[in-house]
Amino acid sequence: MQFKELIAQETNNICEQLSSYEDRHTPFKELFLTKDTINFGPIKLLDRASIAMRAVVLFLTVLTIYFFSTLDYQSIDVLKGFTDTFVNFKTMFLNPYAQRFTLGEAFYNVVVTLGLAFLTTLIGGIVALLLGLLAAQNLAPKQVTNLIKGFVAIIRAVPTILWVLIFAVAAGLGSAAAIIGMSFHSISYLTKAYSESFEDLDRSVIEALMASGANWWQIVFQAVIPSSVTYLLSWTFLRFEINFANAVAMGAAAGAGGIGFDLFMAGGFYFDLREVGFITYLIIAIAIALEVFSTNIKGKLQKSI
Amino acid sequence: MALLELKNVTKNYNNECCALDNVSFSVDKGEFVSIIGPSGAGKSTLLRCINRMVEVSSGEISVDGVISSSLSKKRLRKLRTKIGMIFQHYNLVDRLTVIENVLHGRLGYKSTLAGVLGRYSQEEKSQAYRIIEILGLNEQMYKRCDQLSGGQKQRVGIARALVQNPKIILCDEPIASLDPNASKVIMDHLRNISKEMGITIIVNLHQVEVALKYSDRIIGVNRGKVVFDGAPCDLTTRQIRDIYGSESEDLMFDLGERHAG
Repeated sequence: MQFKELIAQETNNICEQLSSYEDRHTPFKELFLTKDTINFGPIKLLDRASIAMRAVVLFLTVLTIYFFSTLDYQSIDVLKGFTDTFVNFKTMFLNPYAQRFTLGEAFYNVVVTLGLAFLTTLIGGIVALLLGLLAAQNLAPKQVTNLIKGFVAIIRAVPTILWVLIFAVAAGLGSAAAIIGMSFHSISYLTKAYSESFEDLDRSVIEALMASGANWWQIVFQAVIPSSVTYLLSWTFLRFEINFANAVAMGAAAGAGGIGFDLFMAGGFYFDLREVGFITYLIIAIAIALEVFSTNIKGKLQKSI
Repeated sequence: MALLELKNVTKNYNNECCALDNVSFSVDKGEFVSIIGPSGAGKSTLLRCINRMVEVSSGEISVDGVISSSLSKKRLRKLRTKIGMIFQHYNLVDRLTVIENVLHGRLGYKSTLAGVLGRYSQEEKSQAYRIIEILGLNEQMYKRCDQLSGGQKQRVGIARALVQNPKIILCDEPIASLDPNASKVIMDHLRNISKEMGITIIVNLHQVEVALKYSDRIIGVNRGKVVFDGAPCDLTTRQIRDIYGSESEDLMFDLGERHAG
């Protein structure tokens, strides 16, 4: 109790001291008293970064002017080229018509392409879930995370189509190579996305569960995944949309079948612009449907979880 | 025999001397011990050495007769179930409900698979429910933890520690982010837990007055050394100066002089 009285006395003492401060002349008071102006240069200093920035802009301007002044059009009539392209677009998009296949067959091929996208996203998601856990800095030792992150960064740096063509050496051009190559790229993409979602969970939460005796798998399933499940699902869905677009391209480029192959045949083999238009509309419709669906799902998830 | 015993515990981070320097003390069942000291004195390290969240460099810690430093992973897990821990920032899984967070305290007792699937027995659930009720959270039971106030979150933290059936609860600055009202509620709960359930409470505190009011015993730490260990009534202003060192010299010097006079 003696101690409490002392603290009370000390508080009084501080208050007295504070009131005596008011009469003193402090440097901050001078701030109000002096009215002299100091001569000052421009606020933005010409440092190395801004000089480099200006040099880059100047260089690009000069390059652009030089490029247009020396461009060789050869014998192409630019105006005619534009109008011809426009006419092509007009037949493509204003008169879409499919004569080689029925609407039912077209839908069947869309389903094949969707299946390709679904399968590769599924394989990618499952493998990436495991790799993502090992690549998250709050869950795995630093050496392991660095190794995995470096590895998937290299895979991601090479475009999907290249991976498909690389695997086509072993599997031959076709759906097998497309699935392996697209899954490969999906794994690396989703590993990065998942591991970053996992890292959102504070290390201290993991510490708290470890301190109560929980082991690694329990922490992963009871804390890490519940905390990041909305992110995981939205990343997976984003990858599904990307894989759908990839699957269309792979159908054409790697002969993986589906609507992409039809598009390739219509455009490159039969030169049927109206069919190209028809297929493009179909793909756009599916893409919009996917987008609407995923936005809905995300909204619902955020509300419920 | 004492419930918790530290013998010559030393901890160095990166070969630098010394987060903890030759710390020895023992704590009995049901004691309420406050550890005070300036920031960076080694309070948190000391607390985390007890459940081996931090490995000691040398020395020996025994909890309930078990020497913790040599335990295998599996037995360490078992030891940790006896030691609850609560934190300044609560460290709950925000997206889960109160009851789910409380039941997390049971994970240490469960097999990996049962824990992964979140299958808790009827007994565990009713125990969790009773604890939640005692702490006055039954209305929040199915709320997500990110919808709770700070004081409520800390009570969930206490419930999570209690559901472990611990012998010791370690509290790392439990009231540092709470307003005075919520702080009082939390400290009252902690004191009741130690008095009525016989659970040892070891709490890191920044507020000397709170430590004086609630503890059976105060341990003052400065630069990794125990500089005071005794009952609150024995704590003099001079010793507070020793604990908090030169940072607060001016204020404490005045206090000390007047105390002497």
